[in-house]
Amino acid sequence: MKSPPMLMHVKIRGERRGFNLWIPIFLLLPLALAVFIIVAPLILIAIPIFWPSGWRKRALHIFGAVFEIICSMRGIKVDMQSDHDYVYISAV
Amino acid sequence: MDENKKKILEMLAENKISTDEAYRLLSALETEGSTSEGTPKAGTAARMKSKYLRVCVVPGLEHEHGGKGDRVNIRVPLALIRSGMKFTSLLPPEARDKVTGALREKGIDFDMRNLKPEDLDELLEALSDLEVDVASSDGETVKVFVE
Repeated sequence: MKSPPMLMHVKIRGERRGFNLWIPIFLLLPLALAVFIIVAPLILIAIPIFWPSGWRKRALHIFGAVFEIICSMRGIKVDMQSDHDYVYISAV
Repeated sequence: MDENKKKILEMLAENKISTDEAYRLLSALETEGSTSEGTPKAGTAARMKSKYLRVCVVPGLEHEHGGKGDRVNIRVPLALIRSGMKFTSLLPPEARDKVTGALREKGIDFDMRNLKPEDLDELLEALSDLEVDVASSDGETVKVFVE
């Protein structure tokens, strides 16, 4: 099974200022799980409301697809440099 | 008869391809068959190893010395492309029609509704053979390849 990236490194440097950020995604995952547990009752209420409109199936697919996209981001690297600007994004 | 050969002959019978094209396709199939006999699934295994689409732009020498020129190094996982393309099936039909219309306006006759998962795998497999290498007169090089 695919797993989401554990760390994201974002480095942006402009002409005057910039920042270097390490985002520990693995620490955000328990937080996301907690939010999901909190939101779960609302989802359970929304399911019967949206059932006849056919949105339930689409919403479930969207959840799955978004999760798959996040998982597939592992290994992405963007490294762009011009005279004064520098952008580096990587997910490991 | 081999399924692929049968398909080619059917396409020829339906006048979808010319005799030359059919001959070329059949020859390619035979070559592929003979090479894969020695090392079974070697080509497929090599393609399966490809994991990233790389785009590199390296400025020319004069730019490097002058301190000018943009440098780009992008690595996109092929899995992300696959997931992104799967995401298109979730687009509402109205949005899909708009995208198809906009593509047609640009001269690209492509309908996303016709994109099936098996086509997607075939497309990504074909992408493994992609290699673009462009060098400009000032020494700047652009490379697009799969690794």
